[in-house]
Amino acid sequence: MSESASEPVQGPPRVPVTVEVNGVSVDRQVEPRSLLADFLREDLGLTGTKVSCELQVCGVCTVLVDGRPVSSCTFLTADADGAAVTTVEGLSDGQTLHPLQESFVDHFALQCGFCTPGFLMMSKALLDGDDVPDRAAIVEHLEGNICRCTGYQPIVEAVEHAAERLRGGAHG
Amino acid sequence: MTLPPFALLRPTTLDDALRELSEDSVPYCGGTELLLAMRAGLHRPAALVDLKRIRELSGVRVEDGVLVIGATERHADLAAHPVVRERLPVFARMEKHIGNARVRTQGSIGGNLCFAEPKSDVATVLMALEASVTLAGPGGRRTVPVEEFVAGPYYAEKEPDELLVDVRVPLRDGLRGAYVKFQTMERPTVGVAVLADDAAGWYRLGVGAVGEVPLAWSFGSLGEIDADEVAGWVDPTPDLSGSEEYKRHVTAVYVRRALARLEQVSA
Repeated sequence: MSESASEPVQGPPRVPVTVEVNGVSVDRQVEPRSLLADFLREDLGLTGTKVSCELQVCGVCTVLVDGRPVSSCTFLTADADGAAVTTVEGLSDGQTLHPLQESFVDHFALQCGFCTPGFLMMSKALLDGDDVPDRAAIVEHLEGNICRCTGYQPIVEAVEHAAERLRGGAHG
Repeated sequence: MTLPPFALLRPTTLDDALRELSEDSVPYCGGTELLLAMRAGLHRPAALVDLKRIRELSGVRVEDGVLVIGATERHADLAAHPVVRERLPVFARMEKHIGNARVRTQGSIGGNLCFAEPKSDVATVLMALEASVTLAGPGGRRTVPVEEFVAGPYYAEKEPDELLVDVRVPLRDGLRGAYVKFQTMERPTVGVAVLADDAAGWYRLGVGAVGEVPLAWSFGSLGEIDADEVAGWVDPTPDLSGSEEYKRHVTAVYVRRALARLEQVSA
């Protein structure tokens, strides 16, 4: 949570932002070019959010801005001003895992784990919606996330199971 | 990777935004195309003019039988918008399936058209719908059909000091429409839109993603649409999604599939 030591002395004016990150209000002056992923990882030390393709293709940098999934690698911190940002660090309740996290563990939905924060946040956005997603909706929603380990099936099963549990179904 | 430095301007009125625009001070909304181009070093503007606080550029309304969509409307919002879903379901369904869920949350319809990405689903469907765009500039406003606006790959018919204000789609009672695409990577290999207004004898076909720009044609009946003939009209760009010959083949296949899908769509 430390301030950057080397403040640039010139360049375009900084932008004041107030962002609620995982329920905590944060005030900063950021460079216009500051990307949300860098802001979270470097300024706030929230390194759960990963960065990979930087093309909005792989999904590892997914965070929620006011509940909607965005690629934080291609999202200006300035655009998060006044918004609520949820990262993977905001999922669990202390030591109690979120049902999605628990389901990922139960279904072996991760191996190396690098893509997992992105899959979790994308899945949370889906499960927070009005519709209870079926398997096809889950597969479609996660189309924009890449996993090189699992072959995707365990991930889809984990989300399916969490969806059933969150709706209080008989399978939970 | 860090972006090159730029200033961020956030006007709240269209007039203020127009005053800020220049060759070096460019419109910015969702950033799904612009920020990537800047990161790749293809573009290095001194300032981004954020359009998201300009109310006149947002919203969806029906005006004299025309669906008017504000330039800064996001794909996800259009896919879910009750008016779009009711009056132009083929467009709402296309918006629901473009890019991925993050691109749909961030990207705007205006940005999509101004970037003129050759594989844009949006441009293909809008061309088939005979939609147009409203451009505002220092000298006033002008209306340009999407077929002329999306003039070339990554080239839209817009001056640096102009802004895309809205997209206008003429509505037709009893319109039936289908859009199908083949996609194995981030962007489609081919996208085909087919539209029918039987009462007016108005039939349109749009084919996108295979070539440098989407193309659209009018027909007097659905029976006039010959999939193999259409495959000869497109000008495919060989790329990672396929060779010219392959793309002509999938074009014919997807024209047939679009026609088959249309048969299942009621007015």
